[in-house]
Amino acid sequence: MTYPDPDDPAHPARPSVRPFLQSGPLAAGGYRPAHTDEEPPATEQTAALRPFVITSGRTDGTDPDIGMETQVTVHPGAGPVRLSPEMRAIVGLCLEPVSVAEISARLRLHLGVTRILVGDLRAAGQLDVHVLNNETPDPETIMRVIRGLRAIT
Amino acid sequence: MDFEQSPDRVVGTAAVGTGGRPKKAPVPVKIIVAGGFGVGKTTTVGAISEISPLTTEAEMTSASVGIDDPGQATSKTTTTIAMDFGVLTIDQTLKLYIFGTPGQSRFAFMWDDLIKGALGALVVVDTNRIDDCYPAVDYFERAGLPFVVGVNTFNGQMSYSLDEVRWALAVREDVPVLSFDARFRGSVRDALLVVLDQALDKAIRQKS
Repeated sequence: MTYPDPDDPAHPARPSVRPFLQSGPLAAGGYRPAHTDEEPPATEQTAALRPFVITSGRTDGTDPDIGMETQVTVHPGAGPVRLSPEMRAIVGLCLEPVSVAEISARLRLHLGVTRILVGDLRAAGQLDVHVLNNETPDPETIMRVIRGLRAIT
Repeated sequence: MDFEQSPDRVVGTAAVGTGGRPKKAPVPVKIIVAGGFGVGKTTTVGAISEISPLTTEAEMTSASVGIDDPGQATSKTTTTIAMDFGVLTIDQTLKLYIFGTPGQSRFAFMWDDLIKGALGALVVVDTNRIDDCYPAVDYFERAGLPFVVGVNTFNGQMSYSLDEVRWALAVREDVPVLSFDARFRGSVRDALLVVLDQALDKAIRQKS
């Protein structure tokens, strides 16, 4: 870890006790919040990643619509098709609305694998993925959460 | 950690379309609980969740950073991280998810994914190891996500006062610093309500 030169005018020394504000992770190539115009780090993945057999080796190409809390249900009237055991298990969980994270936890599938398989099942017309219209919650929704949380004991 | 048994894994046709129409999916909202190892994130999630916290594993590749970097050559490491999460049903159409996330900077590459659409975050702090929460505070500041610093008073004891914690973290004046007890539902609820107040402020500002 390198700290900025305090004499360097570009990095004025600050009395802050929180060193990450100026150095550390950023200098080490760290973790700024992603900008949408940047390539996701997934494109850099190489053979270092353990192959995901059940996703046919795919580790990226995840649908950005499919978040951890995204709700998934069986597509009404989906025709019977042959599915892999993992996909069949996923469809079996989605008779009631369920989140991607819950699918991952209950089936003990890695989150990344779950997201890929859910995306495949959506593309195959087996699952409905309920994508929210507005990404950031509106004040009315937050007020409902506050009221609901206040009501619990 | 208990897991439900996986359904039997016999290959066959999926039984779909037979159980009638699935219920209308609720709108999910989420709050992030972040902090260093062992500060009480899972306890916090478990105290408020209506189900036993579930664990999901994410396997990620990232360039290794920080003190354990072996040299100049860029080395990729594959890390499996476990995230605990809980659920609170607000009503038939609204569900609150609470995700506990590892706070170490080497896991921060996955936070972009996690905070997308999040209402806000509770950064859990152990006053004996305040610096464990620096990466989370840094990240949420940069990302512009409303957050609250919650000092977990394990046994009703704090090594430092809230003012001292605020000074050490150098967070903005409008970031609440509070103490709570992760073991008690009411205490966690109150801490989350402060997070939601911050989220509401931001949502109203953005709308106007």
